Amino acid sequence: MAFRNLEYFKRDRTRQLFLIWFFLAPSLIIFTLYRIIPLFWNGVLSFQFWSPYGESKFAGLHHYEEMFFYDDVFWQVLWNTILLMGSAPLGIALALLIAILVNTQIRGRNAYRTIVFMSYPVMTVAVGIIWQWLYNEKVGLINYVLISLGFIEKGIPFLGHFGLALPCVILASIWQVIGFYMIILLTGLQNIEPALYEVAAVDGANSWMRFWKITLPLLKPLLFLCFVIGIINSFTSFDLIFVMTQGGPAHATDLLITRIYTVAFKLSKFDYAAAMTVINFLFFLGLTLLANKLSGGEAGAVETER
Amino acid sequence: MKIRWHFVGILLTVFLAMGLTGASSVQAQKKMSVLTWNIPYYEEGFKKWVVEFNKKHPDIQIERLDKKGTEWSTFYQTQVVAGTAPDIIDIQGALWLEYASKGGLLDLTPYMKKEPELARQFYPEVLKSWVYEGKQYALPFIISKTLLFYNKNMFKEAGLKDPPKNFDEMMSYARKMTKGEKSGFMTLNFDWLYWPLLAMNGIELLSPDQKKAAFNTPQGVKTVETLAKATQDGVINKISWTGRWVEPNDAFAAGTVGMFHAHAPAFLWFKSKAPWVSEETVGATHLPGGWSTPNSHSILISKSCKYPDAAWDMLKIIATGEGAYALGTGTNNLTGNIEVNKRLLEYFGKTLPVAVPALKTQLEHLDKLCGNWPLAKDAEVKEAFYPELQNALLGRKSPKDAMADAEKKVNRILQSR
Amino acid sequence: MTQYPRWPIHLFLLFVSALMLIPFIWVLKTSLSGENIFSYPPALFPRDPHLFYYVDVWYTIPFLRYLVNSAVVSAIVVAANIVFNSMAGYALTRDFPAKRAMILLFLSCMMIPFQVTIIPAYLITKKMALLNSYLGMALPVCSTIICIFVFKASFEAIPKSLIDAARIDGLPEWRIVLRILLPLSKSAIATNVILAFIWSWNNFLWPLVIIRDQEMQTLPLGLSRFLTVVEDTTGALYAFCIMVLLPGLILFLLAQKEFIAGLTTGAAKG
Repeated sequence: MAFRNLEYFKRDRTRQLFLIWFFLAPSLIIFTLYRIIPLFWNGVLSFQFWSPYGESKFAGLHHYEEMFFYDDVFWQVLWNTILLMGSAPLGIALALLIAILVNTQIRGRNAYRTIVFMSYPVMTVAVGIIWQWLYNEKVGLINYVLISLGFIEKGIPFLGHFGLALPCVILASIWQVIGFYMIILLTGLQNIEPALYEVAAVDGANSWMRFWKITLPLLKPLLFLCFVIGIINSFTSFDLIFVMTQGGPAHATDLLITRIYTVAFKLSKFDYAAAMTVINFLFFLGLTLLANKLSGGEAGAVETER
Repeated sequence: MKIRWHFVGILLTVFLAMGLTGASSVQAQKKMSVLTWNIPYYEEGFKKWVVEFNKKHPDIQIERLDKKGTEWSTFYQTQVVAGTAPDIIDIQGALWLEYASKGGLLDLTPYMKKEPELARQFYPEVLKSWVYEGKQYALPFIISKTLLFYNKNMFKEAGLKDPPKNFDEMMSYARKMTKGEKSGFMTLNFDWLYWPLLAMNGIELLSPDQKKAAFNTPQGVKTVETLAKATQDGVINKISWTGRWVEPNDAFAAGTVGMFHAHAPAFLWFKSKAPWVSEETVGATHLPGGWSTPNSHSILISKSCKYPDAAWDMLKIIATGEGAYALGTGTNNLTGNIEVNKRLLEYFGKTLPVAVPALKTQLEHLDKLCGNWPLAKDAEVKEAFYPELQNALLGRKSPKDAMADAEKKVNRILQSR
Repeated sequence: MTQYPRWPIHLFLLFVSALMLIPFIWVLKTSLSGENIFSYPPALFPRDPHLFYYVDVWYTIPFLRYLVNSAVVSAIVVAANIVFNSMAGYALTRDFPAKRAMILLFLSCMMIPFQVTIIPAYLITKKMALLNSYLGMALPVCSTIICIFVFKASFEAIPKSLIDAARIDGLPEWRIVLRILLPLSKSAIATNVILAFIWSWNNFLWPLVIIRDQEMQTLPLGLSRFLTVVEDTTGALYAFCIMVLLPGLILFLLAQKEFIAGLTTGAAKG
């Protein structure tokens, strides 16, 4: 809570407010121009029949009706998106494990840290190309290793397989972002007073209880941040999917975001894509609010409780 | 540390200054833009076009744009919405139908009527590919269509000599050549390229009025069942249905596929990966019955073009005479121009003799083109049909169910707004 | 903390490191050797390394030009991000009537992926006459919500006593931010720099749509040139990927200590 000096007058309060809004202004303007207005554009468009060549007519709920009742692909991509987001905790948990290990006093922790983060600055398109090779049925490294170890006899067409394609894409996506998660969680870990652990150890708590009762609660806000980053990363997976599978086979790796893009720019149905955009937005907003609730309610406030 | 940050600060300021002052200059001069589809290396020939064009229109500057296929429509449509659509565009396949049906392209019929001899320079069937609702929208740019490549070594091993003469023969030849790693047949699948396999069995996609799906017939189901069984037995390589370009071509280049149904540009591509490819080892012929799906590029004018007459002149330069010849030699393709192609075949005979048999097929059986319906919702129908076909061929659904589902989806698309 | 045996930890971390590194080694190897991309069995080390592909990249596309363009745009983005995000982050540390609404607003902006904003963003940029320009390319990413929250957290970790002392001394707010808060938030700044740089440097779709001049294209756009005529991949492509990756990686290595400390509180423990 800001400490209020009794000498502050109401006039100063107005000045303060003005300053605050002034400080918020540049970011706010950018978001309004490039996020909020486009969202409204999509919203308005979703209730119309429109084409890039101008003609537009009011369409009411036509697109939404089409989407919910007649479009199998929509439900498929929605499900795929849910699966992708469902796997985010997996990546985060893995990153947490790595972070905990790197946080110990072992030699070379800086090296490990750097190596794990290195995948993040790579262009997503490049990540897609690399993993496409890794998964290649004939000459990919993964198949080579599996065959050499005797697990399988013939190469598996990972990216062409209805059931395996999406997990494979998810794996590539986790590979790219895990460094980012790790770094966030590492900082959080480093902020926890070692004294807390010592006291707990003295009280007889074993390491598992220490983790569950001390580490995890203190990391909650950061776990929320990681989840939000996971959402943003799912949008970045767009490039990954277009390079690796183009959404196939038969929409097995199509996400809401790739579907929206395909419908808009390949099928020229901008109005229908706009309706899907609105649903996409509401879906992720709902997801974020849920994650926020589960992590203690401090939306994005990356503070440690004392 | 202090020195480093000062250095960074200076660098930053320099870049910032450049950034904030380096806006594009406003030009009062007349400009026309040409957007090509994935031929960034084609520079010499393009310069020739511009020189030729400027002879007649010295006051118009030509802007060159080129985008890869995956980004082409995103770029183009954004420009359209903003009102700055490129004036002359090179489009691959059937995408032009979407824009034509929405009134985004210039109708070239009046121009064609004024110059009747022009139309005679092109193959009539090819020219017809770009007619929508009675209006001519494009001139040919680069033409290509599917053909059948076959691995002569694998043929010999299986005791076969000549290419198959009908569908059943083709399937039995494929079965004979299938052994272990090797499969007898493979096809490309994007852009309806697989359609000849269905067309040669008498299957139509839509009713003549294009209002209903017409493929869900007993014959249709039977054909899909045959193809599905062949795929599951490994006779038809699975990559046919799951790959896009690199994988199928690589498989053929690896020498493990007996017959490859692809369009002519595939030849030079897989040849570059396969040193064993020569006239003795790879044959090029038509699919039995001469059926093929075209995948040509066409050149069109956007409706928003400010100088349609000048654009028409440019189109003529591109599609005829020296301009077309430069295009053919610069991209190693054939054009839609009859005379120019004669010269090009001579040229390729000297420079790329191994490609000539494949190229020759491109100009034959032009009456058996299929998979190129003038359908405004082409992309949507394709998108609804193919995944279901994939489901059937890869064993996910029974052919009967898949065809029925596809029919439902296609009908819905055709009936909706 | 109790002592654990070290070697299992090392083993696990080495395994993880290997998993993370193998793709890189593959890219590096392919960029250095003339081997067929799809040769089998896949070998992790090049047989005859050479720098030919790197030279190829340099000459195939106007690499230097693209590099400069990318650098200019990224410079704008990084500078703007630091200024705008710190300002917004500071504003969010103060109490004001619409605070919760603002936070919700910022959060929901994150739910709007770029791909759905292409056309309106293009039209808006056109209205501002910024098409085909550095500023136009930079503007949409000149502020990012994650970084705003990073600054917010960083500022909140600074002891109130310092700030109040400055207030009592009569310093105006903006000077407080500049003289006290920012210097104590070096890690937040480092974080901002690295993230803003990476996101701007790798940006592909926006420059694609907004740039028409060949001369103004950024580095990622050169990528299409290597995914040549028929979707092939070549050694040059891999060399290209390495060359694009380097600046971001170097930046991270230089600033990593600050970056690591930067993503939550802990910037100032006194």
